Amino acid sequence: MFKAIVSASTLQDALDSVSVLVDECKIRLNEEALSIRAVDPANVGMVDLTLEAAAFESYEADGGVIGVNLARLEDIAGMANSGDLIHLELDEETRKLHIETDGLSYTLALIDPDSIRQEPDIPDLDLPAEIVVEGAQLDRGVKAADMVSDHIRLRVDETAETFLIEAEGDTDDVDLELAREDLIALTAGSADSLFSLDYLKDMNKAIPGDAEVTVELGEEFPVKLHYGFGEGLGHVTYMLAPRIQSD
Amino acid sequence: MEFAAFAERVEELEAEPADLETTAIVAGLLVDAGDDLGTVTRFLLGRTYPAHDDRTLDIGPASCREAIARAAGPNVTADDVEERLAARGEIGAVAAGFDFGGQRGLSAFGDGRSSLTVAEVDGTLRELAAATGEGSESRKVDALFGLFNRCDPAEARTLARLVLGEMRIGVGEGTVRDAVAEAFLVETDDEEDDTANATDGEGDDDPANATDGEGDDDPATETDDEDGEDGDAANRATDEAYAAVERALQVTNDYGHVARLAREEGIEGLNGERIRVGRPVQAMLAQAGTAADAVDSFGEVAVETKFDGARVQIHYAPGPDGFGPRLYSRNMDDVTDALPEIVEYVADRVEVPVVLDGEVVAVDDDGSPLPFQEVLRRFRRKHDVDRMREAVTCRLHAFDCLLAGGSDAKSDDGSGGDAAGDDRIDLLEEPLRVRHDRLVDVLPDAAAELRIVDDAEAVARIESAALEAGHEGVMLKNPASAYTPGNRGRDWLKRKPDVETLDAVVVGAEWGEGRRAELFGTFLLAVRDGDDYEPIGKVATGLTDEELEGLTERLEPHVVAESGTELRIRPEVVLEVGYEEIQTSPTYGSGYALRFPRFVGVREDKSAEAADTLERVARLADGEARAADGDDADSADAGPS
Repeated sequence: MFKAIVSASTLQDALDSVSVLVDECKIRLNEEALSIRAVDPANVGMVDLTLEAAAFESYEADGGVIGVNLARLEDIAGMANSGDLIHLELDEETRKLHIETDGLSYTLALIDPDSIRQEPDIPDLDLPAEIVVEGAQLDRGVKAADMVSDHIRLRVDETAETFLIEAEGDTDDVDLELAREDLIALTAGSADSLFSLDYLKDMNKAIPGDAEVTVELGEEFPVKLHYGFGEGLGHVTYMLAPRIQSD
Repeated sequence: MEFAAFAERVEELEAEPADLETTAIVAGLLVDAGDDLGTVTRFLLGRTYPAHDDRTLDIGPASCREAIARAAGPNVTADDVEERLAARGEIGAVAAGFDFGGQRGLSAFGDGRSSLTVAEVDGTLRELAAATGEGSESRKVDALFGLFNRCDPAEARTLARLVLGEMRIGVGEGTVRDAVAEAFLVETDDEEDDTANATDGEGDDDPANATDGEGDDDPATETDDEDGEDGDAANRATDEAYAAVERALQVTNDYGHVARLAREEGIEGLNGERIRVGRPVQAMLAQAGTAADAVDSFGEVAVETKFDGARVQIHYAPGPDGFGPRLYSRNMDDVTDALPEIVEYVADRVEVPVVLDGEVVAVDDDGSPLPFQEVLRRFRRKHDVDRMREAVTCRLHAFDCLLAGGSDAKSDDGSGGDAAGDDRIDLLEEPLRVRHDRLVDVLPDAAAELRIVDDAEAVARIESAALEAGHEGVMLKNPASAYTPGNRGRDWLKRKPDVETLDAVVVGAEWGEGRRAELFGTFLLAVRDGDDYEPIGKVATGLTDEELEGLTERLEPHVVAESGTELRIRPEVVLEVGYEEIQTSPTYGSGYALRFPRFVGVREDKSAEAADTLERVARLADGEARAADGDDADSADAGPS
């Protein structure tokens, strides 16, 4: 059983954060929250999304799992104005999701959840450095790196207490240095890892400019990016595996 | 099976020049494949899906290059990969030349980096084949990148070729067919063989002369098992075994399935395979021949109008749990949606499960046949089907019946009390005469007329009438022959009055000059020789600007390498070309050259595998030589024209 009413902008933000990584996903309809966990086909990037029941105007669910085509669902959500409300209701019998907004109703065929690729077990990582930065700052760093390279290096200078976003191209280099006062918070620790921009660019796209992003970082370890949306009732965590730094 | 182990065998196969050894390596690989037998068999042939399956991997060379670039990372672009490709000429070598594995996976932080398995590669390829819609192309690249990232050089070489469907390891369908028989259908007299080798090892140094050293130096008469030469022959399967594999392949078109069947159920299991509604078989093909040939070898000749249309195979099972009607081209592509009126026609008239073979022709308002090009305007169409249906009317001429529901299904107790589904009859082994009778039973309106005659003059009369009615000529068939899918045997002969054309594959091109510099101007043509394509000439005339534009657009995605103004092109597109003469010539790899080749049209309905063979070219060249000697016997058969 699943029946919910949610604002279009909250639903759009939630879907955007997942659709940058995968086309199809499983949505878990738990009693207290809706959640999605998905890993990209190459097992390099992961998204973990939770939208608390309180983020909805109304929410009733009893723990089912549905599979959806995200692009389709995003298109429908996109038909609503951001202030509009969207009604969602699962028809258990036909296994279809009824979606209604402002007189428009749409019946979405669901995908068998078992046909969607299984996400691998991801271990809990205890990463030594934690940086809290504004989405807009991160965006600047990613955009600059993208001008010269297809990879981005994130590291912390423990003595200077700075967070560094760097990129090395064939000919040109880019450095963005963020000191403690440019950041919202910094827990310095040994942290230096290289990442593919293909992924980080996509993740960055979904992060709102005014969001507070918590970046957890280690030495040749995956990075975790955490932010909230929907008045703090939606939570997204991205995890991205590093590339081996050759020298 | 580990993908690395598969890749290792693939390298071994690539290095092995001898056919017998190649077959033996493949047989060994099939034996070792275990649960992955079906997949391994398909992979060897560069396929993810069986040939009768309409699904394809559909990954363009550009996506493949992109995935390789990302796995090769940092700062390697798809353009870099393309440059290397131009230099090395082959995607496998390019992929093997990079050092992959720089990107770590998330699971690496859980249970360590795992090696790829054949099943995993197959699963991922199928997953990405299924991806459709917006953004699916980038998702495919992601998935492919993930695979490459986990490859060592040998694996990368194999994977890249597999993805683009060009294995280049000298393993063709024939090799796999023989290997299946040799892997699973050889009676085990191993012990005997071992002792034989052991004795050999003793006294004589030269196994060729190993026979008792006495009088008989003729190995042909040597039947005992001590002859060193039998060492190879011992893995040979019986003719019955090869035939069983061949036949099962003809009806299923699924090498993986047949390999499994051979292993698990042996010859009996293979022989139990039947033609089935919904699983297209390869079309039976004809050779060129004369009426005199036909009368000489068949006695009685079944003469049929040769329709200038596109070949279709119709599969239909009526009823609520039925199937179709669906239509397949001679390459077994599903063309149902392009020909709605044929679908309706069959659904309205056929009452029992059937598999029919026939030709779809375009007709004008009076019902007279229109040229082949007209039907092609309909055949491959995905859009605007309705509009084209108005413009070009298509008609079905069925000429064979490969399967039909029980013979009494529509007679006596009209209620059809017993389930029609259970008494479907496989007619492949029945003589043509019987099959044609069944065809007339199930679809009288569209059944092509079959006239049985016994002299060449009667053939000529029927041929003249057919030509006069606007058809292409006649087909001459042996009325006693079985339907042999995919075989270009001597039981069907096509009698064409016109100068022959050749269906050749484009394997290269050159950029045009001047006004046509943006287009391909010259096309290098090749014919099939086993699994290879041997060049036979270049065509540059007979093409309008519009046709050049169309061909350029069609060929560009298949460009494999480019150097200067010359391009190497993957054999995909088949052209029909006319010519004045075929000459023997050292200029091209085939040993022949076309004199004054000219473009006639694109054979939309043919894949590269269905193009003409070097053997046919040799036959044509031979025939011309004979004709030049004043042997005009052939043309006498053509009758008055």
